Amino acid sequence: MASDESLPTLKILMIGPSGSGKSALLIRYCDNQFDNESSTATIGVDFKLKRLSVHGQPYRLNLLDTAGQERFRTLSTSYYRGAAGIILVYDISSRESFNSMERWFEECESNMMEGAKMYLVGGKLDKVQGAGGEAKRKVSEEEGRRLAERWGTVGFMECSAKTGEGVKAAFAECVEGIVKDGGLVAAGGRGRGTVSVAGAEEVDSGCAC
Amino acid sequence: MESLSDTRWDVVISGTGLRHSLLALALSRSNKKILHVDENDYYGGPEAAFSLQEVDEWVEELGKAPTSTLFRNASIWKSEEETSTDSPTLSFSRAYTLTLSPQIIYTKSKLLSRLVSSKVYRQLEFQAVGNWWIYNAEEAVLKRLPNGREDIFQDKNIDNRAKRNLMKFLKFVVDYENQTDVWEAQSESGLDIFLSSKFNFPAHLQIVITALTLSLAPPSETSVKWALPRIARHLTSIGLFGPGFGAVVPKWGGGAEISQVACRAGAVGGGVYVLGTGIENVKVVEAEDTESPAFHLALSNGEAVGTKLYVHEATDKDNGGITTVSKAISIISSSVPSLFRSTVEGSPLAAVSVVVFPPMSLQIADGIQSDPVYIMVHSSETGECPAGQSVLYSTTKSSSLSKIVLQAALESLMNRVPNQGKLLYTLYYEQTAPSGSPLDLSFDDQLLEQVEAQWREVMAEKANEESFMQFEERKGMEAEEEDDNDY
Repeated sequence: MASDESLPTLKILMIGPSGSGKSALLIRYCDNQFDNESSTATIGVDFKLKRLSVHGQPYRLNLLDTAGQERFRTLSTSYYRGAAGIILVYDISSRESFNSMERWFEECESNMMEGAKMYLVGGKLDKVQGAGGEAKRKVSEEEGRRLAERWGTVGFMECSAKTGEGVKAAFAECVEGIVKDGGLVAAGGRGRGTVSVAGAEEVDSGCAC
Repeated sequence: MESLSDTRWDVVISGTGLRHSLLALALSRSNKKILHVDENDYYGGPEAAFSLQEVDEWVEELGKAPTSTLFRNASIWKSEEETSTDSPTLSFSRAYTLTLSPQIIYTKSKLLSRLVSSKVYRQLEFQAVGNWWIYNAEEAVLKRLPNGREDIFQDKNIDNRAKRNLMKFLKFVVDYENQTDVWEAQSESGLDIFLSSKFNFPAHLQIVITALTLSLAPPSETSVKWALPRIARHLTSIGLFGPGFGAVVPKWGGGAEISQVACRAGAVGGGVYVLGTGIENVKVVEAEDTESPAFHLALSNGEAVGTKLYVHEATDKDNGGITTVSKAISIISSSVPSLFRSTVEGSPLAAVSVVVFPPMSLQIADGIQSDPVYIMVHSSETGECPAGQSVLYSTTKSSSLSKIVLQAALESLMNRVPNQGKLLYTLYYEQTAPSGSPLDLSFDDQLLEQVEAQWREVMAEKANEESFMQFEERKGMEAEEEDDNDY
């Protein structure tokens, strides 16, 4: 793992309404797991790290979940600092979830750094698949695509954390969109005036946001 | 959605100012059910940071409820929009983060070691407070404050006799705790008398040394017992985390950023955050047993919650010492590079410079400037303004003249630096200290002691088994083989 430290790091945020499946997507992507029972926000998970190569160049992804602060829309402006990409997630089986996306895009645009990229995900694809599934679909793929286009995201994907369908592709597309024009790729990620306050204790093993 | 009333809360914390945010951080691994609310729809309370538009809203709110807060008499001045396109103007609202808490944090402060031991320092970026300047009225120039022994040796403005005395004093002050015989008899006297009687300091050196304490009072009203630990702190902090600086400031708004990062840590630990919701009514109830709520709280959103413990913001005003200061936050269209240029080899690029205007150094029509003025100059490296501009945080003790005094200091500063640019914006306000947290231009470790005391109260006997703000690294980011059961 130590060699990862020198890789360019991309901070990517998950945002969107409660219950849209942000954490499930993250856990599927990073740990390839899905917990059918868990419906509440995962306590104790601050961020996850994942290595991903795009066109032969490896990146270290630093993926942040909302820690439940989306529930009452109390994400702080500091959450957005240094983020190169923001993945906005809604639930395709919930109209209410989709309808709230306008506000999430607005919040995102006003807080994200200049040059950061947005990516839209319609989650819970498994719910609308199989016999009688289409009836559960409350948002068409076309609507999702149009919303993504209107806000100028670098991509859109419907996926399922449960089956894993589309998950890897969504993260990969998002990262490709970020790195395509140089973007906010920060090797180490710190400004030139940053000083270390950790003294001898510092062993940089974690977040380099 | 599950309502807040359905949960039996262990702790309800009201207010997301620095103190209560640090408490939320301290409790973030306690497994307690914590509800953290703030009547404002932003984080940080009296330590918040704002965009220009948010400042407008804040000023308007203050105007509506002038008695209910620690802030008053807020007003905004903006330079007139000019028609010529090459004249500098303000950028868009969110290009700015103006903070109500530009406090510097000495590298010796326990706050830094607590932010490190609690692991949240990784979400923060710290920047150096570099040069300190003092305005010399006779020569009408800004002079570097000597930052240590080497500076003093090299300083051509100090004659040899004064140098010897100064060195003698510096040697004493870093060991003042062991040399009580030197100062204890004079502990209540003014710093000026002490420095002249014990160390033969001429007036201008008394002023220089007082400036290092960040005292808002003149030397004669700055007590020896208050000043000595602060001078010692200043001198022993230099070089601790690198050459050329002794204090740091978190990027993006100082204390405001710490409180947000601390609240996120609280949320990661399972705490529930609700903004724009205050506590309207508190009913203390006889708890049937230790598991029953002892407080019934009516929230301003109409919900009622029960909790075993209730931690609220102290807003009662303190009557001792300096309790009201006048502040101005100004934006200028210059990066004032001369203020940030370092003379110390290998020092990091400073993002903050401190400029001190000693008492009586400014020309004031119809009065005298009896108290010092401090201006913390923040470069665009702080993320608080666009490149090519700077944010200037000025502070002085409140008086009928303080607004004029701050203005004079600002003008004087701008006239003493090359390419000073144009003044684009000033927010003026007055701030009163809540009891127990005196207004200070540097972070006061006393606040951390208050947080620890509150943490002990909440943790009860469990406080003896755990160390305050001492946490393991969160392991959520590791591969699935990792055992997460420790948390």
